[in-house]
Amino acid sequence: MRLENIRQLKDLQKKYQAAEKRFQKKVLVCCGPGCLASGAQKISDQFKKVLKEKRIQGFSVEALKETGCHGFCEQGPLVIIEPEGTFYTKVKTKDVEEIIEKSVRHDETVTRLLYSPNGNGKKIKRYADIDFYRHQTRIALARLGKINQCDIKDYVADGGYQSLAKAITKMSGDEIIDEITKSGLRGRGGAGFSAGRKWATCKKIQSDIRYVICNGDEGDPGAFMDRAIMEGDPHAVLEGLAIAAYAVGSSRGYIYVREEYPLAVVNLQKAIEQAEQLGLLGDNILGSDFSFKISISRGAGAFVCGESSALMKSVAGEVGEPRAKYIRSVVKGLHDQPTVLNNVETLATVPVILDKGADWFCKTGTKKNTGTKAFSLVGKIRNTGLIEVAMGTTLRQIIYDIGGGIIDDRPFKAVQTGGPSGGCLPDSQLDLSVDFDSLTEAGSMMGSGGMIVMDDKTCMVDVAKYFLGFLVDESCGKCVPCREGLYQLHALTVKVSEGRATEADLEKMEKLSEMVIIGSLCGLGKSGPNPLLSTLRYFRDEYLAHIRDKRCPAGVCRELITYEINEKCTGCMACIAVCATHAITGKKGEIHILDQDKCTKCGACYAVCRYDAIDVS
Amino acid sequence: MNHRFIVTPNLCTGCRTCELACSFTHAVDNVRGQTRIFPLDGGSKDLWIPVVCLQCDDAACVKSCLVDALRRNPGTGAIELNQEVCVKCMACVAACPFGCSLLDQQHNIVVKCDLCGGDPACAHFCPTKALQWLPIAPARARAAS
Amino acid sequence: MVRLTINGRVVQASEGEMLLSVIRRENIDVPAMCHHEAVEPFGACRLCVVEITRQEWDGWCDYVTSCLYPVADGLIVNTHAPKVNELRKTILDLFLARHPKCTEIIELAGEYGVTRTRYETVVDGDNCILCGLCARICDRMGFHAISTVGRGHGKEIAPPLRQAPPDCTGCLSCAMNCPTNFIEYKVKKGLLTIWDKKFELLTCNKCGKETITREFAVHLSEQRNIPPNYFDTCDACHRNELAAAMGRIAAWDREVQL
Repeated sequence: MRLENIRQLKDLQKKYQAAEKRFQKKVLVCCGPGCLASGAQKISDQFKKVLKEKRIQGFSVEALKETGCHGFCEQGPLVIIEPEGTFYTKVKTKDVEEIIEKSVRHDETVTRLLYSPNGNGKKIKRYADIDFYRHQTRIALARLGKINQCDIKDYVADGGYQSLAKAITKMSGDEIIDEITKSGLRGRGGAGFSAGRKWATCKKIQSDIRYVICNGDEGDPGAFMDRAIMEGDPHAVLEGLAIAAYAVGSSRGYIYVREEYPLAVVNLQKAIEQAEQLGLLGDNILGSDFSFKISISRGAGAFVCGESSALMKSVAGEVGEPRAKYIRSVVKGLHDQPTVLNNVETLATVPVILDKGADWFCKTGTKKNTGTKAFSLVGKIRNTGLIEVAMGTTLRQIIYDIGGGIIDDRPFKAVQTGGPSGGCLPDSQLDLSVDFDSLTEAGSMMGSGGMIVMDDKTCMVDVAKYFLGFLVDESCGKCVPCREGLYQLHALTVKVSEGRATEADLEKMEKLSEMVIIGSLCGLGKSGPNPLLSTLRYFRDEYLAHIRDKRCPAGVCRELITYEINEKCTGCMACIAVCATHAITGKKGEIHILDQDKCTKCGACYAVCRYDAIDVS
Repeated sequence: MNHRFIVTPNLCTGCRTCELACSFTHAVDNVRGQTRIFPLDGGSKDLWIPVVCLQCDDAACVKSCLVDALRRNPGTGAIELNQEVCVKCMACVAACPFGCSLLDQQHNIVVKCDLCGGDPACAHFCPTKALQWLPIAPARARAAS
Repeated sequence: MVRLTINGRVVQASEGEMLLSVIRRENIDVPAMCHHEAVEPFGACRLCVVEITRQEWDGWCDYVTSCLYPVADGLIVNTHAPKVNELRKTILDLFLARHPKCTEIIELAGEYGVTRTRYETVVDGDNCILCGLCARICDRMGFHAISTVGRGHGKEIAPPLRQAPPDCTGCLSCAMNCPTNFIEYKVKKGLLTIWDKKFELLTCNKCGKETITREFAVHLSEQRNIPPNYFDTCDACHRNELAAAMGRIAAWDREVQL
């Protein structure tokens, strides 16, 4: 069936909504990346199997939904029973039958599967009452975890494609651009450039061909917001991209998805086919003159291809190397034509803005940073997961209210934002408002939204070393400051971490960083030294401890630490079992002995010891 | 091109001034350059023929250049080699049927006659007027006479 | 026409020109190792970086690679600002650490007062500075026989699959234009070897001198309509042939038109 006008789309929405209402209950199984990894698919299959066996009044398999990421990955696999919003955590296949009996057939709850904030304290039934969710504001992620991953029925029933229909039938391209500009929407990919202004610039260029591209090359370590959206709500991305295309006058779009996201490719492809079947993509969308075709372009696993000019080269089939952007890609982009490139989250936000209006959108966030931003909260934090908060929320609120604080109540040390281009912020910056400008000013950046929380057991020299090592590997190698400069910066951090550095080396690092920043060709090199500079700025003491005292305060840098077994040892032999070099000896029930000459400081014993019997010094 | 080289072999004494003039005119970093003109043995005793680029209309050198380093100067009619663009692949050297694109071994560059920007030094310095650079109409008239 | 100021001198340039060409035209010495007029500017070596500002920028300035930066009216350029010199020194220093035995680098670094690197010397550093000129020129010639392989610090120039490149014709443009003369080739007994591929060199049927490779000649004949027999004779013998032909004409006519 092809939809020929907006009325038919409205009718279809009503039809799908009515179909939804047939069921008194819905079972949502989170099939986001986190939950899938902890076995969500098996649970969903079990649900299907058991539901088939037991016929339940007012319920069918259709009311079982495999949703995108619900957010609270730490507690996965998650199962949610609607309309109550009962939130079951860490569900196992053996729990399925009980859930069906109690929560689907009857209105009871399986108390032991409910979430409890402090491990064994009070149980909370509804997810809306959990702190993790209570403090979030969801716009881009609003549908995630509520609808089937790639089913256009659910999307249309939930009001999907109405914004596109409104745009095509009732608005001109300029009106849309005005609305987006008014909303203050800034690119969620990291740089935070106004999406409306970008579109307007593209539209102004004289050209017969224009391209719109969605950047789904989310390469920052620890970031998975865009992945969750592409997998869990692919139609939102398609709708946003189609609106952008209509606004700037493009008929050809690409979604660039990184190689590591095969499920995103599958789901987006399915979504494109579904939308084309309904005539929501393809020729003469909704019977109008607007035609728009989307193709998926798969990356080959290079971090640098998230950079706009490298991405466009990659889409065109060339080697993904950035070019100097003295002429911007919005003027001369893919195949040298004007090209709009927006991030997944930005595009997923666009339909909501058109639906609810720029004024509504501006109410969230701060004046220059409107709306919300999604983050993936990872590291030494209690509530690992995917969140979305209003701009201007403080780091403290994110880490303590939503994130639940640090694992084991250890002291907070730093939070790394913005991925390898970002920086580490210390506790003195915890009350920093999270928005594009404040983060940049503090020496970090928003980036695409990875947020890595670190506790006192994290060595900042090691962190800088890690990120620089990542960038040395991921630099495209085209320009010298990035290729050789980052390599030398990495070599210098290695020198510090091994206790071979002098204080003069710190100055050398700062000087070289400055040169890499002004000398590099693209954003990767220009922001590459950020992790080093921000740790030097906020954690200089730690560098000095490595240099002057030959000591790693966090007990991480291998060359500077020794492991010792203390009197707390119960003789459980766990460390003996993991020690690859047989450096630990001893009998069961007796305090073990560690031979320093054989120890390679791998830290395996420290990791397995449950009695705090391994000292690091 | 409205000028032509006119060679009168019986006036040529084989003094090779043309060669020197060319070489000095095309000096590189104040070092004498490779001459583009060659007074050569024309087959019989005392018959000298100065061989220099004919600036062909459908030139093999231009066709053979894969990087467009050879272009005709519309003002002088000369096919000029842009040294900055030349990648020294030797295609033109091999392709020219008259051997008038050649390698300057001293400076490791490819060279060819550029008509000195319209007033070829070789003809200018020829002491016996055996080599002249004359407008095309009188040249035709001479040929007709 | 646009007017801009370079090192205090007002100069004119045409629209669309890149800063580096204007700077070079003004005989100002700005180093560049990855630049060649035959190919598009690339911006890899960063040595041609200059400081730019404008009256209305209120003292704020930017650092751009002049090979890639289009000229603009009112631009104020400083080719040897302190930061620019420092950046060039840093780049040469980094080069020196990576390519300690490269004479071209040692010489250029010396000009900028860098004689010893401050950084960790890369032990197995060869002389390839990864400017990519060879691959870009090869692309421009239409052969696409070699390209950059890999990324980051381990990037290198290589033929596909590191095997003898099927599309190479042995034109030697890569080796001839390598700024550090790193690309090796051998000529021995009428055979040219480059990129592990052997080529037969054509020889002059008069004097026996070796000219270009058979593959390259075939390419030029087929793609560029050069009659194949043009390649039978070397340039010197071609000139002698022409002189002899002209001599025959001169024998019955008193003048020859060239």
